[in-house]
Amino acid sequence: MKKRTIATLLTTALVASFAVAGCGNSASTNNAGDTEEASVDTEEVTAETTTDAAVAPGEEAGFTEYPIFEDEEVGFLNVSAVYFQPVPMSNGNESTDGFDIHLEADISALSNNLGFGVGDWVPYLTVDYKVTGSDGSTAAEGTFMEMSASDGPHYGANIALPNADTYSLQITIHSPEENGYLLHTDAETGPGGTFDEYFANGNLVVNYDGWEYTPQEW
Amino acid sequence: MLTYLIKTTEGLLSASIMLGLILSYSKTNFDKRGKRVTLIGIVAGLAASIVMSIMKNATSKIDTGRWNLRIFSLALIAFVLFLLFTINGVRSRTKKAGEVLSEAALGVLAFTVLLYALPDVWAYPYSFLVTEQTVLSTDFLYKLIGYLLGIILVFIVGLAIYQGSERMKAAQSGLLLKLVLLVNAVRQITVGLQIMLAKRMIVSNHVLFSIAKFSSNHSDSFIYAAMILAVIIPIILWMRSFRVKEPYSNPAEHRKIRAKWRNTRRWATTAIITLFLCLMNMTVVKAIDNREVELSPVEDAVVKDGNVYVSFEQVSDGHLHRFGYVTESGTQIRFIVIKKPNSSAYGIGLDACDICGETGYYEKDGQVVCKLCDVVMNINTIGFKGGCNPIVISYSIMNGNIIVPVEGLLEYESEFK
Repeated sequence: MKKRTIATLLTTALVASFAVAGCGNSASTNNAGDTEEASVDTEEVTAETTTDAAVAPGEEAGFTEYPIFEDEEVGFLNVSAVYFQPVPMSNGNESTDGFDIHLEADISALSNNLGFGVGDWVPYLTVDYKVTGSDGSTAAEGTFMEMSASDGPHYGANIALPNADTYSLQITIHSPEENGYLLHTDAETGPGGTFDEYFANGNLVVNYDGWEYTPQEW
Repeated sequence: MLTYLIKTTEGLLSASIMLGLILSYSKTNFDKRGKRVTLIGIVAGLAASIVMSIMKNATSKIDTGRWNLRIFSLALIAFVLFLLFTINGVRSRTKKAGEVLSEAALGVLAFTVLLYALPDVWAYPYSFLVTEQTVLSTDFLYKLIGYLLGIILVFIVGLAIYQGSERMKAAQSGLLLKLVLLVNAVRQITVGLQIMLAKRMIVSNHVLFSIAKFSSNHSDSFIYAAMILAVIIPIILWMRSFRVKEPYSNPAEHRKIRAKWRNTRRWATTAIITLFLCLMNMTVVKAIDNREVELSPVEDAVVKDGNVYVSFEQVSDGHLHRFGYVTESGTQIRFIVIKKPNSSAYGIGLDACDICGETGYYEKDGQVVCKLCDVVMNINTIGFKGGCNPIVISYSIMNGNIIVPVEGLLEYESEFK
């Protein structure tokens, strides 16, 4: 009888541990980064993994974003970078073969006199990315494409990043004017500013060092 | 084809070896109830893996990392219990309870092995379909063949390991099972660490990240370790087969013993050959599959009066053609031309795109593919702006020639460094 009780208890513990393992929530840590306009060198970033905003509270979603850095301010822009599983996209980009992650830059407006509301996604940007390994070699580089996910529009790309390493990520943002974006210039309807106020010295650059990355099974 | 042969081999080989050893252990050491528990674990694992595969691909309910942590936790507890209750002293002291728990633990291990390994493999045909759009394409067929060959290969490995293991001494096969499960447990702990670090469930530090980085960059080592342990089985059986000293009382018994060991050698040979084929898949075939695509050479074109002339005869075959203009600074600005299917129109653009730069395009199975991002171009949209399409250049058509102004090409000199 006693042994049967032990067996029952151990079996219960086995099942309970399975349930408990499934109940853990993602932990969060605190942010402690230095921010500079035009060239941001962030020593440490901490943020919680965030799930897709379209998912109801309490519901576990398959769409979990893994943060790289959050809320770096450069020019009139607030920039965050995340990654998650490579995703099929429209217009011939359906295959995810050969890709390890979907790298994404969320770029929204800070207070500005260019007509963008604070927090609005900023369109017409050319956004280049460069991922550099700890040995200084370029692991991936290119230009993001504009796209929409269930949590809204962003700049992103599926990339191959098969090796674990401590990477540096550089995001270079060109003026919307390069892609033909116009501003009203008259006193009555114009927002009052020009892109030159932010891009006169060239593109806006966010550098983040210390991205500890290991490939995930998606 | 090769990609999916490699993927299924890498994805299923460890699981196949473990299942072969688990089934053999169960058959040799457990009574009817224990064997049934193992079988239930396998059937439940198969069923759960199908459900998981559907949920992963058809819903957004599955966070794979979090589910893997659950599976690993369950497997690690089952592994510890299995080790504990198969120690002779513990087993004899705990008697019935220990017996039941070791059987349950092995059943749970079989369940977790399948639940972890199979969902992605079930979903591969769906991913071919997403890429190829139809099951009636040659590429779909090739991918399916590679996929099925991989599954058949690892199935035979598992079968040969099972057959070989049950012909070994129980203590030897039991030890091998525990060592393979130990390798699996170490892998699960390191992958679990990678997941927890990426999800910020634990605070990273230099030591933890170094372990995660090293184990991630050497993840194949766990498969190789399982293969090395598995290959011990056929080696031992081969050696034993040449030193058979089983007694017999008549020629018929002698023939029976010889036939038994001949059969054993066949299973041992099968295990060695299939493990070798798996090794080839993961090394030589993988290297071939990953080799860089070489762009076709730049073809001759006439340059006169500030224009590049490409005659229709050069490009009317419907294949991709690459031309170039070398600037004064020595930079070659490349452009591509392809006759559009079922049309007399031509798709013309730079051999570069805004997103991937000057990486170039190549032709594969009648399709134009970006070398960097593997995006398959719609040939009919080449010449239009957008996405990964070739950068649009100005050109005119006159007297059977495509005429590309050098001035227009020079605007993109900086794209070709």
